[in-house]
Amino acid sequence: MSTVTLTIDGRRVTVPEGTSLLHAAEEIGVEVPHYCYHPALSAPAQCRLCLVDVEGAPKPMPSCVTQAQDGQVVRTDEGLAREMRKGVLEFYLINHPLDCPICDQSGECKLQDYVHSEGRAHGRGVEPKRVFGRDDFGGDVLFYGDRCVMCTRCVRFMEEMAQDPVLTVVERGDRAVIDTFFEQGLKDSPWSGNIVDICPVGALVSKDFLHKARAWDLDHTPSVCPNCSQGCNIDIHTRDNVVHRLKPRENPEVNGHWMCDYGRGQYEWMNRSDRLEEPFVRGEGGWSAPGWDGALASLRERLEGCRGPVHAVASAHASNEDLGALRELAERLGGGDIVYRSPRAPDEVPMPGFPVLTRRRDLAPNTRGAELLGLRRVGSDDATGGLDEAAAATGALIVLGDELADQPEDFGSRAELFVYLGAHPAQAARSAHFVLPVTTFAEQEGTFTNVQTRVQRFEPALRAAGDAQPAWQVLGSLTASLAGEPVPASAAEAFGRLAAGVPEFEGLGYDRLGVHGAPANRPAAVAGER
Amino acid sequence: MAISVKVIRRPEAARSSYLRAALKGMSLTFRHMVNPRKVTRSYPEEPTELHPRWRGTHRMEVHADGRPKCVACGLCPTVCPANCIRLVGGEDDQGNRYPIVYEIDEFRCIFCGMCQEVCPVEAIHVGQHFENAEYTRERFVYDLDRLMEQEHPVTALWDPSDPASE
Repeated sequence: MSTVTLTIDGRRVTVPEGTSLLHAAEEIGVEVPHYCYHPALSAPAQCRLCLVDVEGAPKPMPSCVTQAQDGQVVRTDEGLAREMRKGVLEFYLINHPLDCPICDQSGECKLQDYVHSEGRAHGRGVEPKRVFGRDDFGGDVLFYGDRCVMCTRCVRFMEEMAQDPVLTVVERGDRAVIDTFFEQGLKDSPWSGNIVDICPVGALVSKDFLHKARAWDLDHTPSVCPNCSQGCNIDIHTRDNVVHRLKPRENPEVNGHWMCDYGRGQYEWMNRSDRLEEPFVRGEGGWSAPGWDGALASLRERLEGCRGPVHAVASAHASNEDLGALRELAERLGGGDIVYRSPRAPDEVPMPGFPVLTRRRDLAPNTRGAELLGLRRVGSDDATGGLDEAAAATGALIVLGDELADQPEDFGSRAELFVYLGAHPAQAARSAHFVLPVTTFAEQEGTFTNVQTRVQRFEPALRAAGDAQPAWQVLGSLTASLAGEPVPASAAEAFGRLAAGVPEFEGLGYDRLGVHGAPANRPAAVAGER
Repeated sequence: MAISVKVIRRPEAARSSYLRAALKGMSLTFRHMVNPRKVTRSYPEEPTELHPRWRGTHRMEVHADGRPKCVACGLCPTVCPANCIRLVGGEDDQGNRYPIVYEIDEFRCIFCGMCQEVCPVEAIHVGQHFENAEYTRERFVYDLDRLMEQEHPVTALWDPSDPASE
């Protein structure tokens, strides 16, 4: 590929031919302010904010569509370019309400950032501002017309990505405003939440998040969406140990810049307060809470006494590490059958403009990981039934993460040893001899294997409830003490152990997975669904 | 070792009398009684005058219809160096952003006045007030109603005729 070399702000940069000036500037760490340009959408060059001074050009050039030329001299941050931007920003503020104190975008608003860094310190406008009020676009989206900067990113997203053109610009000049067709709204588009993400200002905001928290108060934790097997990369936004929203994190291989409304909306369960907080042991005299050391010591004693095939019920919401630790323990105890149940949607929902991103049928994040580890899916598409064998088990029975909501209260009552590991109390775990609290995925480090057989890491966003521990730690320390081996000290170590025993994960490690994950080995052998 | 005795001579009566010192003290007292420049106040009958920039316990300004002026923008809990403001925002039935919970822990507060300075809608103020005695510690966490009930004058953090102190 041929390259061109140009000078931006006095620094030479070499980029492939056809690169825009905006991207060339990005290469050397110069961010040219822009609104209408978005890397995943077409560039209409209408916001006029990315104008840069190109030597020899008759007037400032929009850097998002101007291709870099050999020997070009570009100035982005002085003289004409700066003067132009200051003027353009002043135009934006003619009708912008400056209601930052009550605007949800405040703190992550591009207009706020740009005006603060290079706009005029004081406005000169004396005329009254135009007022539109707010409009309910349907779904989770609320539109504040006054704040809009007419970048039309939302219009182009609905046209090009969702391919469901329900938004348009109506009227012209200073009366121009984004609107839906008559009263039809966003027609419950499954992707509408993305227009809130790409809106550079507070014109499109989420109803669910409205007034809930200030952007600067939120902690962002890189994670993976747990709501279907696509495994979109997300950031979990938390404040005071409460999840407030999920936002997509860019990963060109999995979800681009986007995520679906279904995944975005399902986060309240991470904030559930009915949690198991300490290990319980059922003995002759009823339940007792001997603490982790006591519970694990007596569980180990019981496990030593019961060798033979175990029945295990796992969950596709558990991480690879958790499932691997469960498998290792089952093997240690003499092998057995590990099953899982997971809900399935009737159909897939692909994003027309970026079909790699699809809301998959499997509504659990780690079904592919469970398959790779040799787990067997049972039950129906609403994750019920299928546990008759486990319920009637007479040997050891281990349940990890499945809340057994449809099971009778005497579930597992015939088992010689019934261990329930879960985050939430379960009615059907009454017959359990050990009830051990484990963390949810949002409270622990780990990996999920998505539908593309891509192994992706997530980090803990919340503090664990009470004394809950990650399941890989509980199961790993049991296996280790039975085998007389050292206990895995971290999730990375637990994954290392798993990778040693599963050929698909061989050679992968946390450092190699990085922030965007990496495909597991031999994806062709299991990629039936793609 | 022989015992030695130290003999102390008493001063003569004219010098040892306390009368002289007593009279000297009384004269000072009586002189102050008639001093026109006296500074002693008979508090609490006579209230203390506070400086216009005195920063005391807070007060929330209210609209004419009784709603708090606060729009729950979150700037005061952000700027507060003592982390004494707790704020939960929400939307009222007229679609206005307002504080569902607004609490100031006056024990944690260091009365720097930054909350008043940062407030974009001139809602929260520190006040010219210092008489805050309570029977319990809990009463020092002022909630929104309590802050709106306060009636003392608010602090002037700057001169309105010269806000930039030029």
